[in-house]
Amino acid sequence: MATTLERVNGLEDTNGQPPDKPARPRLTVGGLAARAGVVVALTALALWYVFSTKQFRSDNLAAGIILAIGALSLNVLVGYAGQISLGHQAFIGIGAFVSAYMISQQHQPFLIGLLAGALIGLAQAVILGLVALRVRGLYFALVTLAWGFVGENAIFRIRSLTGGGAGQQAPRPGGFTTDRGYLLVCVIVLVVILLVDWRLVATKAGRALQALRESPQVASSYGVNVRAYTLLAFAIAGTYAGIAGALFASRRTNVVAVDFTFADIALPYLIVTVVGGLRRRGGIVLFALLFVLGREYLPDLAKSLDIKFVIDNAGFIIQTFAGALAILTLIFQPEGLGTFTAPIGRWLKGQPFRLSHEAEGREALSVRP
Amino acid sequence: MLAAAIAQPAVFGIASGAAIGLVAIGLVLIYKSSQVFNFAAGEFVTIGAFGLYIGDKEWNLPYPLAMVIGALAGLVTALLVERLVVRPLADRPRVTILVATAAVATVLIPVELMIGKVKPYPAAPAIAGLGIKILGVYFSPQRALIVAVLVASGLALAYFFGRTDLGLATLASSQEPTASRLVGIRLNRISMLTWGAAGLLGGLAGVLLTPLTASFSAGYGTTGVLISAFTAAVLGGMTSIPGAFLGGILVGLVQTFAQFDLNSVSGSPDLAILIVLVGVLLVRPTGLLGKEA
Repeated sequence: MATTLERVNGLEDTNGQPPDKPARPRLTVGGLAARAGVVVALTALALWYVFSTKQFRSDNLAAGIILAIGALSLNVLVGYAGQISLGHQAFIGIGAFVSAYMISQQHQPFLIGLLAGALIGLAQAVILGLVALRVRGLYFALVTLAWGFVGENAIFRIRSLTGGGAGQQAPRPGGFTTDRGYLLVCVIVLVVILLVDWRLVATKAGRALQALRESPQVASSYGVNVRAYTLLAFAIAGTYAGIAGALFASRRTNVVAVDFTFADIALPYLIVTVVGGLRRRGGIVLFALLFVLGREYLPDLAKSLDIKFVIDNAGFIIQTFAGALAILTLIFQPEGLGTFTAPIGRWLKGQPFRLSHEAEGREALSVRP
Repeated sequence: MLAAAIAQPAVFGIASGAAIGLVAIGLVLIYKSSQVFNFAAGEFVTIGAFGLYIGDKEWNLPYPLAMVIGALAGLVTALLVERLVVRPLADRPRVTILVATAAVATVLIPVELMIGKVKPYPAAPAIAGLGIKILGVYFSPQRALIVAVLVASGLALAYFFGRTDLGLATLASSQEPTASRLVGIRLNRISMLTWGAAGLLGGLAGVLLTPLTASFSAGYGTTGVLISAFTAAVLGGMTSIPGAFLGGILVGLVQTFAQFDLNSVSGSPDLAILIVLVGVLLVRPTGLLGKEA
């Protein structure tokens, strides 16, 4: 808390740098080489996986990246705005259908569809954010739950938008129609989102949000505009969700309403955020990929072991396992997988390798009173 | 016909609202004792319905016994959730427990799908038939039974909180947990008691409500009942048991009238719920019978 408040003082700085930021440690040649080596090795491993396996494996990786973007959206909402969403099937589904509608019905290019998905995500998040500002504590979670079911049962039944039971076509962008090509699109979008997220958290807005989450009263007395920054967090979360939806649509090339249910979207996305670790981007992306790869390889494993039950129920088993993992994470390791990825991330940024961090011991998940 | 246009949906609404009220009372009990929103409550309902199905159709037990099995299945689930998930998190922020209960639903729904497969299950009513017709309005025995169970539960809880020491201890621990522990109230026991009661009520709701919809499938309680029950609890003030009782009936009526009169708008019951919920939270956050914010 003390650290956060000291850093909130830095909000007045116009250059966006906190005043107490430690000087970047100087790296030795060996240190630099080791870090460069790790980055190259990881990139090579990823490329090897993509090109040594069959095309459809890339499609699965794309699904993991889309899941990661959706979970990053929840990360902003839960980790920074201190609000929880149990209605992400609506955010992501509406983004998907609007993008698909723009591409196939209005004959717009893919980028316009992506932009439209992002904008509609932003718009619904801001509207719900206005409600959230007036609702105290956890009651907002109920509003998102209700909104999710309105999405499922009312909005997704608007035939002209969603194409009814047959679904809406959402062609992939030209030149990127193969699974590997589309994976590249998803990777680029994820990298952009990670950069935006990183800059956002590292600058004035991020410190304001962090202060806000810990105590709105204190933050407000330091001159943080509570309304504006809460809405900003909602806007960002909604934009990410809309983008995840647009990518989801074109990955499938045909979206139907039954893709976006509470049990298939809202719950797993929240679980991935929690297990990955709130405010731990690396952990979230890693667990999203593990979640999807688990769903991909478990049936293969079961086939080789010839366990029929597992072959038939692989998706359900992974979801059960992830849910149980989330409960264990909350009880024993509130920072999630981020506990393990954060030291690596700090090391790559040039700091010495340390497992602990000043944030340790602080509750990862908390909400405004 | 006035009877067909107003009285019939009203009867339907009160009956389904009574079942929603049972779940809402469970939410209120847990909220009062531990200030937790229990997002696993919907699955108590589903498991109750599965318990009835297994007892009635698979084991061919007499129907009342199958109902008991359904209610007990809800009770056991709730006790397990309390012991394995909620108690280890007791000292943590409320939102952590909220996410944990959502995670419980994430675990239970695929488990139900694995055991029960992706298919609808029939749910037979306790007493079949359309029931008696008075002035063009049908009163089915199943609906009468639901309302009777709600009233009985309400009376039992009123007796429990008003006349018994344990009930008083429960109220005390919800108002002042530390002071209650100092005077010798065992908070873990109280927590077990409220979760158990909530599970029992949820299981009962599953046993009673699913015959009205004629069938149910895995995840039914979470997708079909949970948000209605939360809205009912919020409408009643979140801490008031009579409020949840009343809220349940009102929510049932609103949903049924939305279904009957706005059936050209798809998802009209869900829209109605969202409007009621946001309306209550914005205009009167203390609900109808809530005491303080």
